[in-house]
Amino acid sequence: MTTPLDMIKKKRAEAINRILSKGYLSTKRVYVGMATCEIAAGSKDVMDVFESAIKKEGLTDVYLSQKGCAGRCNLEPTVEVVEEGKIPIKYGKVTREMARQIIDQHLKKGEVIKEWTIK
Amino acid sequence: MPRKYVITLCDGPTCIHKRSKELETAIETELARHELSGRVNINLSGCLGMCAKGPVMAVNPQYTVYGNVTADDIPEIVSSHILKNKPVARLAIDEDHLYNRFFRVFGDVNFFGKQMRIVLRNCGIIDPENIDDYLSVRGYEALAKVLTEMKPADVITQVKVSGLRGRGGAGFPTGIKWELTARQKTDEKFLICNADEGDPGAFMDRSTIEGDPHTVLEGMIIGAYAVGATKGFIYIRAEYPLAIRRLEKAIADARREGFLGENILGSDFSFDIEIRLGAGAFVCGEETALIHSIEGHRGMPRPRPPYPSVQGLFDKPTLINNVETWANIPVIILDGAEWFSSIGTEKSKGTKVFALAGKIKNTGLIEVPMGMTLRSIIYDIGGGIPNNKKFKALQTGGPSGGCLSEDYLDTKIDYESLAAAGSIMGSGGMIVMDEDSCMVNIARFFLEFTQNESCGKCTPCREGTKRMLEILTRITEGKGQEGDIERLERLGNLIKKASLCGLGQSAPNPVLSTIKNFRSEYEDHIKLKKCRAGACTALTGYEITDKCVGCTACKKACPVGAITGNPKGPHLIDQGRCVRCGLCFDTCKFGAIKRS
Repeated sequence: MTTPLDMIKKKRAEAINRILSKGYLSTKRVYVGMATCEIAAGSKDVMDVFESAIKKEGLTDVYLSQKGCAGRCNLEPTVEVVEEGKIPIKYGKVTREMARQIIDQHLKKGEVIKEWTIK
Repeated sequence: MPRKYVITLCDGPTCIHKRSKELETAIETELARHELSGRVNINLSGCLGMCAKGPVMAVNPQYTVYGNVTADDIPEIVSSHILKNKPVARLAIDEDHLYNRFFRVFGDVNFFGKQMRIVLRNCGIIDPENIDDYLSVRGYEALAKVLTEMKPADVITQVKVSGLRGRGGAGFPTGIKWELTARQKTDEKFLICNADEGDPGAFMDRSTIEGDPHTVLEGMIIGAYAVGATKGFIYIRAEYPLAIRRLEKAIADARREGFLGENILGSDFSFDIEIRLGAGAFVCGEETALIHSIEGHRGMPRPRPPYPSVQGLFDKPTLINNVETWANIPVIILDGAEWFSSIGTEKSKGTKVFALAGKIKNTGLIEVPMGMTLRSIIYDIGGGIPNNKKFKALQTGGPSGGCLSEDYLDTKIDYESLAAAGSIMGSGGMIVMDEDSCMVNIARFFLEFTQNESCGKCTPCREGTKRMLEILTRITEGKGQEGDIERLERLGNLIKKASLCGLGQSAPNPVLSTIKNFRSEYEDHIKLKKCRAGACTALTGYEITDKCVGCTACKKACPVGAITGNPKGPHLIDQGRCVRCGLCFDTCKFGAIKRS
């Protein structure tokens, strides 16, 4: 008989496969804060910039996702760039223009923009 | 050295006791020997929750955690892990705790590193609208475990062993509440999640739901299994549209995956959840008023007993817990009740989420282990007071709580210690005030809120808070009378004793605690007609001194045209027209305006 635990393990494996098939293991994962507080601070604009850049410029090695609020209110909107084997980079107070520059410098060339990171 | 590293040393009390401070020196020496100083960051975290294996340290990226580390192990860790990127297997702890995923992303930032995230473990690292993301971080595994291996009574025992207490503020032991509901023998039982978050400036529940809605659902389903409930409600205020939308999606996804509805995960247990929207009345956070509101009646409390666990929604036994309480449940089940009870103090276990706001550098949502001092929250996590101002008071517990002065900064966060200090844990609002805040005015602000929100059912709360507010208002307007402080104390104590529900019983707290801790400010207002913070407009006046150079900036800033004077000549404030807004004071670059 399959127990609920067996079922959940199967469901988890399927879920992980679905996430992987969306390119989770691509070199760079970008998380944009999309809770009420982040949206009020302007994160929708930032999300738009990333979304359209990924679509139009064919950034195949980027996995984009929204996330809830991590809790750093006065530095919102926040954006994280996570790469396997590296310290995740956390940007604070990201604007449309900054998002653009993060795409050009960090996502395309791998240059972290240190002045904007949360310490 | 190919990559950048961050070493996180656990700075919790147990690890310090096990000589973690010696490790810090050893690491620094070893790094210096390899000429790596400054290239590897060392930071101190709050309790990492692996006290049994302390002292504990983590090396990021990859978040390799080492336990039982001694100073003699440090050279090996540095030469193998840092220099060659080969983690030291013999020391590594392979404990897959739910909470430590958060630290893989955020652990190296001081603000986050000092915290401990159990409730908010997934907030900020997963997509809240995708059930796959939740499943991938062991979501609903606790539910499956409960359905596979545990009887309802076992679940209740685990919650009791964990020591979890109600996070809505009152701190009633959760396990006992569950047991009381489980004991009732009826055909139908209900379960409620109280998401009616109403304290001004508090947003713990909203962020939890918006960041990780499934964890709340999973906690509720486990609770329903334990007490034998068939139907659950989430009572949430309509002014949280995004949280509601995410909950709706989460409920639909959970139904589709078989976590809600008939025969959950193939078992014979069935349960479903519906959302009920509140119209934003503060009193509806009180459990009996909330139940009335769900039933379709006006939101008003009723006397207890009978408690909801015996006679609640539609007169059936009802288990009602707060969002944060529910979100703790999956962790207790998967990481273990014993582990959970190792975090915190003797009587308060686990962590507490706070919304840190007011005059503090790092405002934000934080989660810390019980037992942390207020001082370390304000200075280590919050970064202290901005603009070189002096700390004056900390308000905890929202309109039901109290203001604590500097003398209480070393108070530990737990239900009893905060109550002994004259405040309450509350649901988690934490507002920091600096020297520019007038304590009488703050007390008036909170009382005005509760007075407005009083439902009017019982006389002490309806009439008493009104009279107290009148007295406070006249004090802030410079019309305070001799004996007003005593009148406030007498009325306040009476309202606390005689009110029907928690709203009235706690409404005088902000006033009584400020009288206790800042009595001299009340005396200043009444006897000297002075507000030392300059916040009570009626007691504050502005004058222009001879430092005035005639720049005309204040004249332009004054919204009522009360300032006269020619360019380069001295200016003057017409006291009759002045509305004491303080704009001139803020505008003047020469310090020529005096506030009195």
